[in-house]
Amino acid sequence: MKSRDEIFRCGKCGICIQTCPVYQEDLNELTTPRGKMQLIRHYCEGDLASSRHLQQVVSKCLMCGGCTAFCPSGIDHESIYMAMRKNMQEDHGEDWKKRIFFHLLTHEQQLKFSAGLAAKGQNSFFEILYKDIKLGNIKLSVMPRLNKKPFREAAPEIWLSETEKARGTVLYFVGCSTNYAYEKIGHAVVKVLKAMGLKVEILADQVCCGLPIYLKGGLETARQNIEKNISLFSRDDVEAVITDCATCGSALSSGYIKVMKELGGDIAAAEKLAVKSVDISRFIVRHFDWLKDKINPEARRTKVTYHAPCHERNHGGSHAALKLLDLLPNVEYVPAEDFDQCCGGGGTFFYDFPEISKKIVDKKIANARATGADFWVTGCPGCSINLAGNLDKEDHIRLIHPVELIADSLEN
Amino acid sequence: MLKTNIKKQLMAIVGQERFFDDDETLVAYSYDGYVVESRPDAVLFPLATEEVSEIMKIADQHRVPVIARGGGSNLTGGTVPVEGGIVLNFTKMNRILEVNTGDRFTVVQPGVINANLQKELSKVNYFFPPDPSSMGFSTIGGNVAENAGGPRCLKYGVTGDYILGMVVVLASGKVIRTGSCNVKDVTGYRLSSLFCGSEGTLGIITEVTLRIVPLPESYRTIVAYYNNLADTAETVKAVLAQGIIPTAMELMDKVTTNLVEDNAGLGLPREFEGMLIIEVDGVSEAVSSQAEKISKIAKSFGAIEILEAKSSQERESLWKARKSVHGVLSKLAPNCVTEDATVPVSKVPEMIIGVRAILDRHNITAGIVAHAGDGNIHPVIITDTRDTEEWSRVETAAAEIFKLAVELRGTLSGEHGIGLAKKQFLPLVLDENTRELMSVVKKALDPAGLLNPGKFV
Repeated sequence: MKSRDEIFRCGKCGICIQTCPVYQEDLNELTTPRGKMQLIRHYCEGDLASSRHLQQVVSKCLMCGGCTAFCPSGIDHESIYMAMRKNMQEDHGEDWKKRIFFHLLTHEQQLKFSAGLAAKGQNSFFEILYKDIKLGNIKLSVMPRLNKKPFREAAPEIWLSETEKARGTVLYFVGCSTNYAYEKIGHAVVKVLKAMGLKVEILADQVCCGLPIYLKGGLETARQNIEKNISLFSRDDVEAVITDCATCGSALSSGYIKVMKELGGDIAAAEKLAVKSVDISRFIVRHFDWLKDKINPEARRTKVTYHAPCHERNHGGSHAALKLLDLLPNVEYVPAEDFDQCCGGGGTFFYDFPEISKKIVDKKIANARATGADFWVTGCPGCSINLAGNLDKEDHIRLIHPVELIADSLEN
Repeated sequence: MLKTNIKKQLMAIVGQERFFDDDETLVAYSYDGYVVESRPDAVLFPLATEEVSEIMKIADQHRVPVIARGGGSNLTGGTVPVEGGIVLNFTKMNRILEVNTGDRFTVVQPGVINANLQKELSKVNYFFPPDPSSMGFSTIGGNVAENAGGPRCLKYGVTGDYILGMVVVLASGKVIRTGSCNVKDVTGYRLSSLFCGSEGTLGIITEVTLRIVPLPESYRTIVAYYNNLADTAETVKAVLAQGIIPTAMELMDKVTTNLVEDNAGLGLPREFEGMLIIEVDGVSEAVSSQAEKISKIAKSFGAIEILEAKSSQERESLWKARKSVHGVLSKLAPNCVTEDATVPVSKVPEMIIGVRAILDRHNITAGIVAHAGDGNIHPVIITDTRDTEEWSRVETAAAEIFKLAVELRGTLSGEHGIGLAKKQFLPLVLDENTRELMSVVKKALDPAGLLNPGKFV
């Protein structure tokens, strides 16, 4: 494994341990970032055999990036885990349900088809699959309802700006969650961008950002998606490429460059896209001048709290959504004690390790409840599904994307 | 590998879900923060004193070594199972059993993480003073067994000064209770002191009663820069002589501030020979007047520049600079060895100059930081243990550092303990009669040598 030297840099100081949300529940050295590094080192040195258990150990991670952000030796845990997961996948294969899921994420037509079947409520194979994979310990009844038609298909490709003369054009990278389940986020993004005086383009040929596949070690498979997206979105004639999901955002703004370097692709094109890529919240904060006159001062006052997605917090993010809340005149923000802790969802983590995931998410929910907020703002649909899915029926708090909050406060 | 019958007996106590002997787990418990590694035969997660007692009885019957472990943070190999055996990992036995502000004590299980205890205590405006750098993941059981310190121990004392009582499982499996919850307690031998700092070689601590202290009202933090290292010690001595006991007095030498600047760029000035961070805590009015006095003293003893943290952010960034040393240095090479020799406060400059000369002579890269107020010196050596030639130079230098410390009336370890790292140097400080008495104590409590074998005693 090429990261071998990097693994040796782990000085076993253990500082990472306090940052690991999985360790806080599991309390076993085996789960710590330090433990994983040492196991991988022993595996590389040939005195620890490849096994299903080893595969499970390296999978027992939310990929939140907390350890990497904290590591004094500057170890890139994520890359090492992914290389190791790939090795383990080759040796021991992958759960068949996940295999199909990843196949779908890389094959847009089939994904559309299966989501379509599931949306129609047919008792198809795909619905069972979708339900099982996406649900983990979340009840089907509280899962978001799928869009009748995928957003990218239903929405026109070109949206003209509200202003007479557009300030420019932006490309909207529609994440899978918005595309298949949260069309209201998609409509909110378009509404806000138009109000900002921008022309918005949605590219029908866009595919899944590839990060969920990449994080599970499907490097080559992810590459197909990544290269396709780079070729579509790396364009000189646009102001920005807007993302609506922290995970997609981290892929476009840094992940793609890393993968292209690792697999030897077009790094320059990935870098060009990275420069243009910006999360919707950050984009609005940056150009709030274009929007502030459109905010309805009479809009209903709401009390909100916030969850910082790992893909924003530990991957160079800047809590732009928090700045946005600060800019909105009718929003009262009440911080939750652990607003910047991982929600425990972690891609398919909540499916693979439901018990630990449940403990993590329940703590988050207790602290959010304590704020007495009406809305729980987060810019990551993955976190949103996990948090909403674990709320009680009686819970008054509702999950909302920051851009929905803005769209709601605009004058019509 | 444990024999099947032993394994069965142990599993009967903790159940299958808290007994592990798979290769992955054994590797994960083969190390701590030190360089030496050795796999145990099994790892068990006890949840109660009774379980530990039963496990100990079986270990005693079959003569299997037992090593108590918490967060695995220690830097001397204290929890490395060098002779195999059973690792008892206490991280899941982690309940805070009582917080009593009226009588100022708390009762905790050994697996409670230091920082989690602080968090609970701060809710009632109290704290537990020992603050080792590992407090975010090291456990109270480990802190007690190592008699851990930390920067603010200058004012408040070390872990051993806060132990009122404990429950200990002996090598035979018998359970004893030392002390009580009373600050004043001279009933019988002070056995808590025997187990505190014993590094798991005399008994297994399964419950601790700790004295707790009200949180101070406010802090003031001063940083002073010097052109002459000896002036820093004069400042430290003068501050203490004026009756001011700061919470912490931390020293960084020029090489260290420059290494920090090269790699982290925190904005520390590079030209000074020494930098002192001095913090006082207490009632606002008192700390204000102390801070003023300290500034005056620093100036009169040659400080070129004196600054005070004006906000909590500034205070945090100063501490960040100090606490980043280990991290910044470990980026430079695969291994980072922190030595821990301690000398009387008046000897700190002599010690630092001497240590720097030793390191230079052996061509070793290291930063030097010190808890200057209590003479605890930390040369942070960066190295690559795979480079055997360099590693042997590091070992020679370490031996010379210990010898120098002893010549200056110092000692081997201020807060990290002896473990594997320093056991060969014990005769430098402890004479034969003293070591013999330690062996007598060890034999009396652990006749078969089952508790954490292969360590300093």
